Amino acid sequence: MNGPTPRAASRRRWKLPIRPRTIVIHVLAWSIGLAWLLPFIGVAMVSLRPLSETSLGWWNLSPFHLTLDNFVAAWNNPGCPLSLGLRDSFFVALPATIIPMLVGAFAGYGFARFHTRTRDYIFLAVVLFMAVPQMMVAVPVYNLMIRLGLISNLLSLILIHSAWGVPWIILFMRNFFRTLPAEVEEAARVDGASDFKIFYKIVLPMALPAMAAVIVFQFMWVWNDFFFAQILIQKPEWFLSTQCVPRLVGQLVRPYDLMSAGAILTMIVPIALYLVLQRFYIRGLIGWTIKG
Amino acid sequence: MNRREGGLRPRLLPSIPGAGRIHRRLRSQLTFLSFFLPAAIFLIVLVIYPVVVTLTLGFVGADGQFAGTHNFETVIGSPDTLNPNCVQAGPPCGTLINNLIWIGVHLPLTLFLGLFMALLLQGVRGAPFIKSMVFLGMVTPLIVIGVVLKFILEAPIGLVPAFFDWLGIKPLAVNWLSTPSTLLFGLILGTVWSWTGFSMIVYSAGLTTIPKDYFEAARVDGASEWQVFRKITWPLLKPVTLVIVTMTVLWELKLFDIVIGATNQQGGVGGAADVLALQMYRYFSTTDYSNAAVVATLLTIFTFIVSISLFRELLNLPRRKRRPHKASVQKPASLEAISAEIRVPATDGPP
Amino acid sequence: MALLVVTNVITAVAVYYTAAPKAGVVAVQVIGPWAGDASKPGTEWGKFKPILDKFSNDTGIPYVYTPTRQEDLTPTLPIAFQAGQSPADLIFMPSATIKQWAAKNWVTDLAGTIGPSSYQAGALDPLTASGHIWGGAYTGKVKPGFWYNKTLFTNNGWSAPTTWQGFWSLLGSIKNATRRPPILAGDGVGWPLSDVVEHFIATYGGAAMHKALMNRSLSWTDPSVKAVFQNYLVPTLSGGFWTAPTTWDNPGVTLWWGGTNPLYFMGSWITGMVPNPSAIGVFSLPGGAANQGIVFAADYFFVPKFGAHQDLAKRLAAYLASEAAQELQVKQGGHVATAANVPATAYPTVDRNVADLLSGKTVLSDLDDTIGNPFQGKFWSQLQSLWANPGTWQTVLTNIQAAAAAQP
Repeated sequence: MNGPTPRAASRRRWKLPIRPRTIVIHVLAWSIGLAWLLPFIGVAMVSLRPLSETSLGWWNLSPFHLTLDNFVAAWNNPGCPLSLGLRDSFFVALPATIIPMLVGAFAGYGFARFHTRTRDYIFLAVVLFMAVPQMMVAVPVYNLMIRLGLISNLLSLILIHSAWGVPWIILFMRNFFRTLPAEVEEAARVDGASDFKIFYKIVLPMALPAMAAVIVFQFMWVWNDFFFAQILIQKPEWFLSTQCVPRLVGQLVRPYDLMSAGAILTMIVPIALYLVLQRFYIRGLIGWTIKG
Repeated sequence: MNRREGGLRPRLLPSIPGAGRIHRRLRSQLTFLSFFLPAAIFLIVLVIYPVVVTLTLGFVGADGQFAGTHNFETVIGSPDTLNPNCVQAGPPCGTLINNLIWIGVHLPLTLFLGLFMALLLQGVRGAPFIKSMVFLGMVTPLIVIGVVLKFILEAPIGLVPAFFDWLGIKPLAVNWLSTPSTLLFGLILGTVWSWTGFSMIVYSAGLTTIPKDYFEAARVDGASEWQVFRKITWPLLKPVTLVIVTMTVLWELKLFDIVIGATNQQGGVGGAADVLALQMYRYFSTTDYSNAAVVATLLTIFTFIVSISLFRELLNLPRRKRRPHKASVQKPASLEAISAEIRVPATDGPP
Repeated sequence: MALLVVTNVITAVAVYYTAAPKAGVVAVQVIGPWAGDASKPGTEWGKFKPILDKFSNDTGIPYVYTPTRQEDLTPTLPIAFQAGQSPADLIFMPSATIKQWAAKNWVTDLAGTIGPSSYQAGALDPLTASGHIWGGAYTGKVKPGFWYNKTLFTNNGWSAPTTWQGFWSLLGSIKNATRRPPILAGDGVGWPLSDVVEHFIATYGGAAMHKALMNRSLSWTDPSVKAVFQNYLVPTLSGGFWTAPTTWDNPGVTLWWGGTNPLYFMGSWITGMVPNPSAIGVFSLPGGAANQGIVFAADYFFVPKFGAHQDLAKRLAAYLASEAAQELQVKQGGHVATAANVPATAYPTVDRNVADLLSGKTVLSDLDDTIGNPFQGKFWSQLQSLWANPGTWQTVLTNIQAAAAAQP
């Protein structure tokens, strides 16, 4: 911080406890933070109050009645009930997180520890495929799933999301493994353990923080996906929650109350996950090389 | 060295004298392959093979025969994709230009807003809380943001037109969804709201690694805030900036959810918010697979071009033999290390 | 760790096996465009529900109805059909789309279940092709003109105009009195605007122009078409007589009925949706060419080939085509039957007045519904653009023509 302000300098006995500039900064920072929350507040308002009150602007606070009707309506909506949608999203997101995490960690360890001449080129290729957008594989994967009879079967989504997660998880875990000292593993190898045992018993437990970051991101990514779900799941009884949200509209009407209730039900899961596991999100973003 | 191995790996080679090194290398290769195998299966079946198929589809005509670049010409020549008239006539500008506009407007906004907030929040009480609030936008599904935008942008129920009405700016107090120019900008604002969290968090992390001594020295020398920023902060943050730019551009190229959530499969009023991925989806839904493949290929080419810069950094990593050991580091890691780690959630990651 | 793996494998396997169809109550699944809360009066779904209920009561077959907008179905249904699946057994879609999909072998032929004999002359034509009947026609709606609150008009001293000048001055008087645009523009993805445009064309260009545009034998950039836009439609837009497209249910209906924007162009189903149907009035655009037309749009439905319950769907189809079902629907107000032998007495008074508006005019089909996609989507979004920027009307016409020319 700079030295004392001129005013305080002239009165050494009495210093302003808080500088005006600090106040401004704090006010600005907090208002920006609250402004960021405004859309959430708006959605919450429209979902918790009857539409008749909010249709001319939810900031009109009179009359003000709270109701859960919209949530019930979204939960039981005939076209795409959020009850089924949320269930399907879970059924896809959980396996589609665990499977690529294990597969990716496995492969990442291989990249980190075992040298081959072509290893680096293969690694480069894997990383290159990270850049491919989902649209690039949409048509062939769709046709493949038709041939396998897996359209509208959640398994198809689980498989494609696992495959999609593998490249970045390999990269992430490989970088993590390279920061681990190899001595412990060498010692185990001298003792006669096989590579797989070493991986399973020694390395994996050490990798828990990295794996937590992977789980957190992969789960969120799979949960939030819309494109693959829209292409691969066609039967209404198997729609995911993200597919339900845009379907909550009618021909002449736009039921904002229903839509916002559905939106909240869908986004509450990744948001709750984030709020609880924040640390791991930040870790995942900036790596484990910085504390906190 | 070690000839005894328990478990799953039997001896594969006879013990020829002098074969020790070859044996070790082969063993290394085989172990590597066995670790890599499950991932390889996933990748080959569900990623590599489909990419190749899509590439070839782009060159196949409607009759199933090889059609050369005909499909590419059709798609690129279509006014859906490129509509340069829009400079005079106003939107729609075509999907390609829309994506570029998105990049041109959204990227600087989110970059500098994130940087500004990272700087602002240094030493603010409750900064982690504010950062959480801003980062929430990253965690929300984009399709939900799109649907929510539907009623944030629509008068009279929406916040945005009401806000401009309150400010007295009448032309902007209309239904943003039904005017082509405001529609695109409204959606861009939606993505700014969503993705600034990423920029802010990453810049925050980057800022913590700049040694305080630099700032002290600058203050002692009497440098102004602006000079400190320009000469010290900004250049030192360059690697981080590169990462943010790359990731953001990649996300912008793949925009789909937010547009289809806020509008429809045409991209809204007059196609004003139409983007490449949406165009691909339209071709796909009319069973026009070849043109869908063309758009997807174009999209991938652009993402590759953008990723190259990031990959050049990655290329440095394999060359290094050994990295410092400590799993928990006492001193902050270098900026290069941070930026090298930032590639989660990869190019097609959340929201 | 192992536990995690095992649980996930079990979940995946369970999910795979539960994808098999469940045994249980067999219901016929219907998708239609009408939504709204059935318990509230005047919603579209509230009007359609009694017809489906009667089907259930008569046959004992339960139904599951899902409202989905047709514009949302157009991209998603082909993706399902290509995979050999269908989200419902009977779906309402415009006739042009049904025919396109029949060509792709996605539609069940209903010959033998439905026949032209149960319909008025010509009602089933859009779906008939070389002996195949690709679907059925349900009731239809007329799109006669601008609706208004009669009480409101009387109180303000306004009356329905009989000449174009009269219309123009009416717009002016209303705007002076309310200081707001007199005409409420409908929302949706643009089809309310296309109804307006078709009305202008059918009135000031004549029935022949409308038919020629529908056949695509006339260009949208033809001087005669341009004249209609330049002299009639665009001036009302540039004069600020239209609101921005507004959703009907909250706040549209309140704004219109309450007098903020007292004119609304809509199809005749609106008569069933106002609080006081006897106070509703309508006038067509006055003046106009010699041989004018009015658009009559029927709702069509089809049975997808991949629906799970083909026989149930066929029974429902036959029912919807029948005089019994359509008479019941017509009694609700706002619909016009396509089935034969529905007596005139079944229509509420208000609808009989609408029928008067039809006299002397040629009945036309809905233009964009008949041409179909991808023209329809482009048409709608261009018109939205026109409403937002009336000055660009020439470009809009060029773009529409390009879309029409590109339509296969």
